[in-house]
Amino acid sequence: MNTDIEELLRDGMERFTAEVHAPGGLAGQAGRLHRQHRRRLAARATVACGAAAAIAAGVTFAATDGSAGSGVAQARTVAYVTKRVENALAGENLVFVGRSSGKLWGNTVTWAYRSRNRFEEYWPAADARDRVVNGQRLWDFPPQDRGLPYLAQGTALVGGKLVGAYVTYFDHRYSLSRLQPQPASACSTNAALAMGAPLIPTTHWSAFIGATLACGAASVTGHVLVDGVETTQITGKPITVRLQPGYAKTVHAKFATVRWALYVNSKTYLPVRLDGSTKTFGGTAGSYTSSSSTNVRWLPATKANIAMTMVTIPPGFQQVSSVADQ
Amino acid sequence: MADDRAVGELERFLAERADRLMRTAVLLTGSREAGQDLLQTALERLLRHWRRFDGDPEGYLRRTLYNLAADGFRRQGRLQRKLLLLRAAAPPPADPIAEVDLRDALVRLLLQLPPRQRAVLVLRYWEQLTEAETAAVLGWPEGTVKSAASRGLQRLRELAGGWQNTEPQLNGERA
Repeated sequence: MNTDIEELLRDGMERFTAEVHAPGGLAGQAGRLHRQHRRRLAARATVACGAAAAIAAGVTFAATDGSAGSGVAQARTVAYVTKRVENALAGENLVFVGRSSGKLWGNTVTWAYRSRNRFEEYWPAADARDRVVNGQRLWDFPPQDRGLPYLAQGTALVGGKLVGAYVTYFDHRYSLSRLQPQPASACSTNAALAMGAPLIPTTHWSAFIGATLACGAASVTGHVLVDGVETTQITGKPITVRLQPGYAKTVHAKFATVRWALYVNSKTYLPVRLDGSTKTFGGTAGSYTSSSSTNVRWLPATKANIAMTMVTIPPGFQQVSSVADQ
Repeated sequence: MADDRAVGELERFLAERADRLMRTAVLLTGSREAGQDLLQTALERLLRHWRRFDGDPEGYLRRTLYNLAADGFRRQGRLQRKLLLLRAAAPPPADPIAEVDLRDALVRLLLQLPPRQRAVLVLRYWEQLTEAETAAVLGWPEGTVKSAASRGLQRLRELAGGWQNTEPQLNGERA
């Protein structure tokens, strides 16, 4: 037996597959998967430090619209809100936990504490398979992946140094990068882009809110009940950016428009919810909007909670040189 | 639209080769469902680079197929492999009518091997590639291919030996 095991194996494989035929519609299904892949790329284009960093080199400011707050009343509101947020966060030592669900996204969770953060996205739950937008199913994924992590992004401790990390669980890969500094300005295009997705652009909320209100990148737009809690609504000015040519070619869209609104507890002035949306358009892929709503909780800075703010590289994952290879 | 054209061209490309590709994918994964999933993933990757190919994209597609399989074909492969292991570890059915010969058993045992060893054995004995050609497809050193094939065959021999040892008992029960 030992001498001809190769021959037996070959025969066995022939027999095993003799009745196997490819089902029809393989090409069409591959096309649908491909379009989904591009949509996810497009949506992720504007995500966060990664996104901000990834497209920072590529976006060019195209236009802004919406109304900027101005005048004495607005200045007073800015000063008041900023002061209250500062007071709320002053001396606090809290861990930010944001959980979101979105139309194009699976559920996400963001943990942040000072310069550390971990953003994790999950495959959608089972019912997402049936969600249809513009006549196309949004997700097509193996049933056993439901609710499992899809990717993680944030900071990791490697060789005693804090670095940027991007882990994709579906292909067992990860890449490391130098830690990106916070956006130079809360009023920058990159900061606004980050607000359009579940990832957060800052952990310094008082400074962020104060700066966006002061420069007119956002304004106080009212008071809203969020889950029974009275909140002050702060709305960012929508911005539209032209995507980098190479990137635009990949996602078949030329522009992205980002909108966001932040709700801070009217008593504590801690952020409790962030709503954001990113719309890509102007290409052959048509127009797609990904929106998300992130609910925020603030936890004490215990050792266990702080540990949750770091990305862990699972053993056996393959390191690649950049996010582009993932 | 450019996409529709690419899908149309892919359809024509698959018209003659889909069955053979599907069979390879089934051997690499162990079931039709997982094989189809693997082939779909490889085809989607092919579409990403479709415009690059002036000539025949089959080489790229096969490389993608084998490399996805060798990488364990994503995380969900783990669960499937566990199920296959459970299935393969179970004793052969004691049904006297069921004719399970060594050739069939070897294929089931093949599914117990790690994905990299399985990919090498499928390339070597199903595609009938040389060690050098196998190394080229997988992008591995030839020595790695040689040792993976050797370890894979050795493991198959061990597993097949265990399987054969159960046969007389089964025959005895039948008698």
